[in-house]
Amino acid sequence: MTNLTRRKMLGVMAAGAGGVAASSLMGTSAFAQEMRIRHYWWGNPSRDERTFKVIELFQENNPGVEVAGETVGWSDYWTKLATQTAGGNMADLVQMDYRYLFEYARRGAIQPLDPYIGNSLDVSNFDQSALDGGKVDGQLYALNIGSNTQVSIFNTRLIEESGAEFDPINWTYEDLMRVAVAVAENTGATFGTDDLSLGYVFWEDWAQQAGHQFYAEDGSIGGRPQDLADFWQMWTELRDAGAAQDGETAISLLGTGMNETGLVTGTTAFSYMWSNQIVGMQSLMEDTVGAGMLPNTGGGSLGQFIKPSMFMSLTRDTVNAELATQYMSDWVNHPEATAILGLERGIPASSVVRDALAPSFTPAEKVSVDYFSAVQGKVGALPPPPPAGAGEVNDAFQRWGTEVLLGNMSPLDAATAHFDEADSILARA
Amino acid sequence: MKKFLQKNAPGYVFLAPWLVGFFFLAAGPILASLVLSFTKYDMISPPQFVGLDQYIFMFERDRRFYKALQVTFSFVFLSVPARLIVALAIAMILDKGIRAIGIYRALYYLPSILGSSIAVAILWRQVFAGEGVLNTILAQVGIDGPNWLANPSVSLYTLVTLAMWQFGAPMLIFLAGLRSIPQDLYEAAEIDAASKVRQFFAITLPLLAPVIFFNLVLQMIDAFKTFNSVFIISNGLGSPADSLLFYTLYLFNEAFKFFRMGYASALAWVLLLIIAAFTFIAFMTSRYWVHYENERD
Amino acid sequence: MTDSVLDQGPISEARQVARDLRAAREKRERRSRLLKHIFLSLFAFFMLYPLLWMVASSFKPDNQIFGDLSIIPTTFMWQNFTEGWYALRESFTLFYWNSTLITVLTVIGNLLSCSFAAYAFARLDFTLKNFWFALMMMTLMIPYHVVLIPQYVLFLNLGWVDTYLPLVVPKFLASEAFFIFLMVQFFRQLPRELDEAAMIDGCSPYKIYWAIIIPLSLPAMATAAIFSFIWTWDDFLAPLIYLNDIANYTVPLALRLFVDAESQSAFGQLFAMSVLSLVPVVVFFVVFQRFIIRGIAMSGLK
Repeated sequence: MTNLTRRKMLGVMAAGAGGVAASSLMGTSAFAQEMRIRHYWWGNPSRDERTFKVIELFQENNPGVEVAGETVGWSDYWTKLATQTAGGNMADLVQMDYRYLFEYARRGAIQPLDPYIGNSLDVSNFDQSALDGGKVDGQLYALNIGSNTQVSIFNTRLIEESGAEFDPINWTYEDLMRVAVAVAENTGATFGTDDLSLGYVFWEDWAQQAGHQFYAEDGSIGGRPQDLADFWQMWTELRDAGAAQDGETAISLLGTGMNETGLVTGTTAFSYMWSNQIVGMQSLMEDTVGAGMLPNTGGGSLGQFIKPSMFMSLTRDTVNAELATQYMSDWVNHPEATAILGLERGIPASSVVRDALAPSFTPAEKVSVDYFSAVQGKVGALPPPPPAGAGEVNDAFQRWGTEVLLGNMSPLDAATAHFDEADSILARA
Repeated sequence: MKKFLQKNAPGYVFLAPWLVGFFFLAAGPILASLVLSFTKYDMISPPQFVGLDQYIFMFERDRRFYKALQVTFSFVFLSVPARLIVALAIAMILDKGIRAIGIYRALYYLPSILGSSIAVAILWRQVFAGEGVLNTILAQVGIDGPNWLANPSVSLYTLVTLAMWQFGAPMLIFLAGLRSIPQDLYEAAEIDAASKVRQFFAITLPLLAPVIFFNLVLQMIDAFKTFNSVFIISNGLGSPADSLLFYTLYLFNEAFKFFRMGYASALAWVLLLIIAAFTFIAFMTSRYWVHYENERD
Repeated sequence: MTDSVLDQGPISEARQVARDLRAAREKRERRSRLLKHIFLSLFAFFMLYPLLWMVASSFKPDNQIFGDLSIIPTTFMWQNFTEGWYALRESFTLFYWNSTLITVLTVIGNLLSCSFAAYAFARLDFTLKNFWFALMMMTLMIPYHVVLIPQYVLFLNLGWVDTYLPLVVPKFLASEAFFIFLMVQFFRQLPRELDEAAMIDGCSPYKIYWAIIIPLSLPAMATAAIFSFIWTWDDFLAPLIYLNDIANYTVPLALRLFVDAESQSAFGQLFAMSVLSLVPVVVFFVVFQRFIIRGIAMSGLK
């Protein structure tokens, strides 16, 4: 009896465990339901409401079709997407971010859209640059559903009170020093500006202004250690002058949402973000915000660029690619749908849509659109896609930057150490 | 044979739901993670078998793995005793007759409920900031406090404090344990004029030992696996300067941020072995200090 | 002076001393009770400051929440509550219903199945007992994130994704080793004479479980009920992974839809709904903590 029980148990165990182990390795396909597609996005109450309205509109216009909207918050989105990808159960359409696009595209989790262009997917009114941002190795893997660019956001009241003046579209780091000091001295704000020492995006801009491509074509990290040391040195000077936040505060803001920035809490007059976040920042503040470009380093090259803020991608698990791309097409072209979506996800890539939206902007949206128009022609080309491992390099950058902020390392030592670590990360990836 | 059945049948009948659940729902995924630990697996393409490579990399070349171990061990050794002592002390105060006891219990339990909510994380970050509430209070008595979350030399202690604040669960278990101690023992001790201190060591501690043991083991396991609180407080990064790089946080980022589920699985199994070793030691030593009512040796 | 002789002698003195002593003791006890309350309430205030801040913030407009640590709101934005309730695709009425359903089923499942297993481990003898116990403890130790994907694949193959089955069925199969171990520790404390007496009276192990062990373990069962309720009510990772349709969402999952760190968030509404989400937990706690009482039968037996 003992043997029997034990053998039975072992049999059950092997069957259960083996079955799962095997199937987890192979993946499974989703249930085919032809006229039903799933759309998965990260959002917030306002975005969700708009998106569900578009879904209803699409269902009205296409009787018999069902679109299932699935939404979670940004911080949960990628964990769930990875799990669904592993299980072979991705939604037909997923919202995609520039950071993750290459990971998903190169591993075949999302499909090229080129076969559908001109058939079910209409992109004829798109700016070419907006389309290019969704290309991976020459093929279109992601449809731009909004563009953005780097931005310096400032508190107009504090700037006015400080008595300092500057041209937000054409200014330098010397101007920043001057204005930030004035803000810290003449207004209620503790400091002039948020500290950017740990902002990878802004180091990228710095390196590109110095004439380096970021990342370089061969996938190596752009810039030289000396450039990074200069970058960190410049922020050290701003901190020492009392113009920028102290180092510990800057460290504590790492990875936080816009709600904790000095601009929102009223402790500084400048924060730095992406332009589609202007409207969100304004909603958290009582003072009016203004938008400017990143300061010039005097390096001579164009550092800023316009990139897609969000994409929509067709997954390899789709059950009806035709229908899914048709839905996509409506999303970026259909007058009613685009009117519902507005600027919430970024500036639309279609010129026709932009013109149609113009009359109904809120003041904050107007700031955002005006800024976007003002930078046209003053930005460089979109840099080549980041190589695998770029995310880790970013994290390593923040660790070395922290040492500089704490005064444990000199900018040059930390920069050299970062470049060494970046090389080994990229080699492993 | 019949005797064997008689002996085993009731046990297996009662264990049946767990056995079914274990073999059909738990064992498979656990084994799968073991298998995956020998593969490179990015969750998108099929896993590739690499043998022991990842374990070798972990021990020979992964500096952050050692950093994560160091942070996690420090946290376990600091937070577990601290939390248990606070929980036991409060449970003993609340155990004695006191008016509105239900309200106090609920009040003290609340932080543990709030623990990992986004709203509270936002608050903590404001309390512990350089110009935050805590430093404003400290400034009154002339202490110039650091930024409690941004300074790598104090950030771990801040997290230990937060862990102490959430003593609700062990406290409640202690309370239930205290309530299971027969009151007549204390009455007898009163008659014998035994002091409160003596009563504590002669009655409370020995009779509470099984519950203390339970709390010790579970709090230890939980502390080794600390994830939610540190994920929220350090925004998922383990910053500043990796001073909050908890093991499971490192594991999670390896898996879901850097698409290395295979490596994360290997990390998980190493952690499992560490926890198992500590639990085993706890069980072995428990023979000397935990005695159960019903077991006569 | 009309006092009798007795009132002036040593007896009266002793009486007076006794009275004084009693008065002093009562005073001391009153003071110590008062001190205890003061200590407990002060401590409670520190413990609860975050909660109070959360309540205060739930009445503030979005642009006043940050940079303000006061726990007294200056404005009362009741809209945060009324609008927050309906701010998402489905109203919170539905989320509460979903959460309640899952949580109640989980509590029942955990109490039943875990007490079964615990009874076997604590009171019965059978082959391989220690082996199974060790395996059970192991399920507590494995970091959840690495079994997430295999588990998802398993439930996907069963066709259970986007239903409550992955969240509830395991609970009826004693998947929560924490509760098994907890109950084992309490069951082992019950006097063995009880079982033996019952056995002599012809009770089966099943009867003993139901008629003796469970009723005598009320504090442990209440504790387990409270934990399962709270943890299930708060859990978001499993619902996040397994539920797709927003109509199936639970309260904590819905709360996370309010925040988008990269864009617009509705913080006032988030705080308002977070405060409301605590209400069921507190109510359940207050009701069930009453069962954490002295085991009457046990002290009688000693």
